[in-house]
Amino acid sequence: MVLKFYASQFVAAGNGIVALALAEKQAAFEFVPIDMAAKEHKTEEYIAMNPFAQVPAINDDGFAMYESRAICRYLDERFAGQGATLVPKGMEERAVVEQAISVESMAFAPPLAKVVMELVFKVRRGLAPDRALADEGMKEISNILDVYEVILAKHRYLAGDDFTLADLVHYAYAPMLAENGVDIMTVKERPNVARWWNELMSRPTWIKLKAEGMKSTV
Amino acid sequence: MVFKLYASPFPVAGGGIVALVLAEKQAAFELVPIDLRAKEQKAAEYMAMNPFGRVPAINDDGFVMYESRAICRYVDEKFAGQGTTLVPKGMKERALVEQAVSVESVTLFPPLDKVVWEVVVKPERGLAPDQAIVDTGLKEISDTLDVYEVILGKHRYLAGDDFTLADLVHCGYLPFLVEKGVDIMTVKARPNVARWWNELMSRPTWVKLQAEGMKSTV
Repeated sequence: MVLKFYASQFVAAGNGIVALALAEKQAAFEFVPIDMAAKEHKTEEYIAMNPFAQVPAINDDGFAMYESRAICRYLDERFAGQGATLVPKGMEERAVVEQAISVESMAFAPPLAKVVMELVFKVRRGLAPDRALADEGMKEISNILDVYEVILAKHRYLAGDDFTLADLVHYAYAPMLAENGVDIMTVKERPNVARWWNELMSRPTWIKLKAEGMKSTV
Repeated sequence: MVFKLYASPFPVAGGGIVALVLAEKQAAFELVPIDLRAKEQKAAEYMAMNPFGRVPAINDDGFVMYESRAICRYVDEKFAGQGTTLVPKGMKERALVEQAVSVESVTLFPPLDKVVWEVVVKPERGLAPDQAIVDTGLKEISDTLDVYEVILGKHRYLAGDDFTLADLVHCGYLPFLVEKGVDIMTVKARPNVARWWNELMSRPTWVKLQAEGMKSTV
């Protein structure tokens, strides 16, 4: 049975990064859209797959799992030998990738979620953003990016000279910023970050995913 | 050259979980205490190891890395074949561990971090906790633990019947709450969580670490 990918139709957040990982691995899959507005993620059927009632989830011929970053690691291993290698084989190289993934989930994602909530989601819904929260979030993101600037002077991608899962996890929310007029990823003061970000945004798998949206390969 | 662990000398937070993993793996290491009050983690020498200026970090015979959860995975692999296996060999079993590790870092940790700041850190600095933040945080943690209750009704530990990294990462911050008299881990309404938590807190490596503190094994 082909792998089933349960996600919201929007190419963003955990849904977006798993869709991108599937593309990077050239994996065959069936996209099963979950309509959050219709609370399809709260049905008994869905909760049986993900008791936390969040998207995305996958069902690979009976093996069900959730948590986008964990799914990405599984996909890289499941489809080893095809497409991009997202997590290196060498122990130390892999540790450096895990280090960078940890920074993204623990330090980068939380303030980013704050900023996206205020400057993207609230604005879209016609609500007034909390400027203090947004500014606080922007400052925290900027502090992290200042360190990325140092790291990206040493090698092309976050964990070395190859694109890995450490870079891929950054597609979840940061692209929404530029799409909504917030250019923090490409400011002149951080040329290495800008170079790296522009490379991520020009990656063919990402461009294709954004252009064509979430869809089954079968 | 011996394995060096750079951490605050208290068996808590990220340093605590790395010390616990080193104990589980029966790995020899030298503790290099970092004085957080004196901001040693921001000194140039330390920042050369961890540009984010946070503890812990390790130097394993010249291989330097940071981010406690990433360090734990590396230690499990480096000392494979001795002590407890913290990340299983099987692809699907490992994916379920990564799934549970992700839940801890992405869903449980953010509100937990906020609550610990209010009820532990602020009082140490003579500041009053913000009860609204505490209440909101505890509610979010409780909601997550309600799902843990379901999961732990199916197997002994979070990712299956064996103790893994997924369980171990919970020893970093939750004990702070318990110490402050917040009994969220052992409420009668969640008997499976209470059983699991009591098992974690009775684990010999944990008991020994808390009794003897952070110290070199060489």
